[in-house]
Amino acid sequence: MSSPPKTRRILKGLIAPEGLVWIILAALIVVSIFASDLFLRPNNLQNVFLVQPVGRGLAALGQAMIVIAGGIDLSVGSMISLLTSLAAGIFQQHPGLSPILIVLLLVALGAAMGAINGFIVVYMRVAPFMATLAMMLVYQGMALFYAKRTMGGVPKGFRVIADGDILGIPLPIILFICVIVFCWLLLGKTRFGKHLYAVGADSTVSALSGINVKRTRFLAYLLGGILFSLSAIFLTARMGGGGPKVGVGYELDSITAIVIGGVALSGGAGNVFGAFGGVLIIGVFYNLMNLLSMNSFLQTLLKGLVLILAVAFTFKKKK
Amino acid sequence: MSTEITPDAILELKGISMSFPGVKALNDVSIAFLPGEVHALVGENGAGKSTMMKILSGVYQATEGSLVFKGEPVLFKNPQQAQTAGISIIFQEFSLIKNFTVIENVFLNREHTHPLGFLDRKKERQVALDLLKEIGFELDVDARIEDLTVVQQQVVEIVKALSVTASVLIMDEPSAVLTDKELKRLFEIIRTLKNRGVTVIYISHMLEEVFEIADRVTVMKDGQVVGTKNTCDTDKPNLIRMMVGREITAYYPERTSTRGKKLLEVKNLTKKKALENIAFDLHEGEVLGIAGLADSGRNTMVHCILGIDSADSCDLQVEGKPAAMRSIHDAIAGRIGFISEDRKNFGIFGPMTVKDNITIVDLHSFLRLGFIRRKKEKTATTDQILQLRIKVSNMFQRADTLSGGNQQKMLLSRWLLKRPRIFIICEPTRGIDVGAKMEIYRIMRDLVSAGNGIIMISSELPEVIGVSDRIMVMKSGRVAGIIDQASERASEEQIMSMAVGHRFSITEEEK
Repeated sequence: MSSPPKTRRILKGLIAPEGLVWIILAALIVVSIFASDLFLRPNNLQNVFLVQPVGRGLAALGQAMIVIAGGIDLSVGSMISLLTSLAAGIFQQHPGLSPILIVLLLVALGAAMGAINGFIVVYMRVAPFMATLAMMLVYQGMALFYAKRTMGGVPKGFRVIADGDILGIPLPIILFICVIVFCWLLLGKTRFGKHLYAVGADSTVSALSGINVKRTRFLAYLLGGILFSLSAIFLTARMGGGGPKVGVGYELDSITAIVIGGVALSGGAGNVFGAFGGVLIIGVFYNLMNLLSMNSFLQTLLKGLVLILAVAFTFKKKK
Repeated sequence: MSTEITPDAILELKGISMSFPGVKALNDVSIAFLPGEVHALVGENGAGKSTMMKILSGVYQATEGSLVFKGEPVLFKNPQQAQTAGISIIFQEFSLIKNFTVIENVFLNREHTHPLGFLDRKKERQVALDLLKEIGFELDVDARIEDLTVVQQQVVEIVKALSVTASVLIMDEPSAVLTDKELKRLFEIIRTLKNRGVTVIYISHMLEEVFEIADRVTVMKDGQVVGTKNTCDTDKPNLIRMMVGREITAYYPERTSTRGKKLLEVKNLTKKKALENIAFDLHEGEVLGIAGLADSGRNTMVHCILGIDSADSCDLQVEGKPAAMRSIHDAIAGRIGFISEDRKNFGIFGPMTVKDNITIVDLHSFLRLGFIRRKKEKTATTDQILQLRIKVSNMFQRADTLSGGNQQKMLLSRWLLKRPRIFIICEPTRGIDVGAKMEIYRIMRDLVSAGNGIIMISSELPEVIGVSDRIMVMKSGRVAGIIDQASERASEEQIMSMAVGHRFSITEEEK
């Protein structure tokens, strides 16, 4: 007889991808400290742990919802580009508009774009990879058509989202924590969350249990779209503008992050905190490459390799 | 059509017909199920059992006829409605999510929630534990399904069904994956359910089980009910006659003892923690049956011989020459053919055509300048289809649309093209109906009569006894004994006592 089930489960949890994430992160931080003196500078730490994770984290959370439900969204990057371009463009033409109105508008647009992706995947039955690859082009084309280049001029009232603070705590961090807690509750503690996992793990079993598989998958994309719009809102506020290239790389960053964080690409497994850990890992890793002033092409190359390693590693784990 | 009047039936089918484009799967089926009975449903594959199950459980809707449940006519539009009404089904392939816990599976889509919308795990746990207690089974309700044994998974299915206060529980071939010990356990649970007043509809290919557990049995054939009998008023030959519509005088083909030269000799086959010093041989013209419990190492042994699994030590001689099996390629080159017990995953290429499935192992013999000669390929396929009497509409039919028996014949013909001397066949007739079973046995007998040898692993003792010339019984990774049936037939008791050893100790697998 081995250890009682409870301790065994906790031990298992530590070796599980979600637990492993924090060990990898700690190791990576130690390496960074030794590799570069600049890493521990307050400015850098703030950037790596408080600023960068928000935009990337929101995108990764959206991606996690979709992947857990058995899908994938490659159009995140161009969706974010399009939304930031629209935000900046609207502010340029109507500087007096209420920031709250713009926030609501962007969320609605994000939801709509997510819904379009979901519709194509679920109801037109196009494989998620193909559908969102195609929509990546569509949204990118729209962004480039609308905004030829990066635009500034976002008013202070909107930029508060990224710059403001409450009692010294940065506002974006507070908002981000709220979103994480929301996602955590949704995924882990509600029926809908369980159903997201269920349709991702086994759609046949889910259907036999009476779960509306199509609607659940569709809602995953819609929810993902909303989270992507939050990412776009934060980026617009932080940069004080937007443009057609803002979201470049977000699709792969978000996928790499959640895969490192233990979200199975085959669906049905993973959680919010693991995904967030994955976001921090790639944040520290990218930062380290910058601090070492690595050639940017070489950085791209390494990013690709990391993605392959992450996917290969989790694949082996399943087998 | 049944003319019985059953006013106290809990569930009654009245003149149910079901048509699919081009096929009438069910034709005027009427059956009455009584409260608290175990009602077995038998029939060959394609007899319409599973279509009927799907109508009862709301997966399909009947094109004609009506369902009467608790005295009221009902129409189930989806599985959920049937479940809510109190009819639950346990499908042959389990409908459990592998990486979910027991609780999560039991309450999937019927989650208990707090008023705020959050899941109420505490209540779910209590309900699950209560149900487990009722059927007298202990289980860690927080364990993930993938960590459970097959019988434990089945218990989860049963608990899931009971959690909606099922009054009718349909079990589709629950025994297919169970060992004898596990089956006993299942029967105990079924009896408990019966005492609670639950009606159990038990579908099975195994007539032995029907007589052990069922009160009544309904035989179906070609989409129609042949008849319903009390199990105490009928016997096995009678049921078989009803199922196939003909008398089976010789269920198993006669053995023709023409034992020839040694084809295969295995010595010192040892693998740490799995196999210990296994030695046996196989001769021309014989079927060597291998019996033993599921964890006796029978499959591991075969996998080592084939080079699929690696042994720590193994001396093999094929037709008198030493051979090393480093991979399945060596085995194929040594003219060994292999048919796995898992047709779906390790046998057929479901979406590919019957022709491609048959020629795939021997493709190189159809090549000319690197291109496949279609004509030659087609001729060879046609030959095989005719020879083994594989029922297909044409050779370009998708393999996964064939019945189990025809899939098995297709796999046999795949290897026949390679002309192997040694066949290793695992569970040759699992999930195959009676008629096709007999044909498979005949083909196997023909193969050995032609001077080949067959190693057959089977969990069905009557099959082992009926088909094998010699029987090797395995126990905990060792050879417990070899019975030569040339002089005298073995008995099931004899094999079982060897398989479980003299000390009948029940040791649950705890890993």
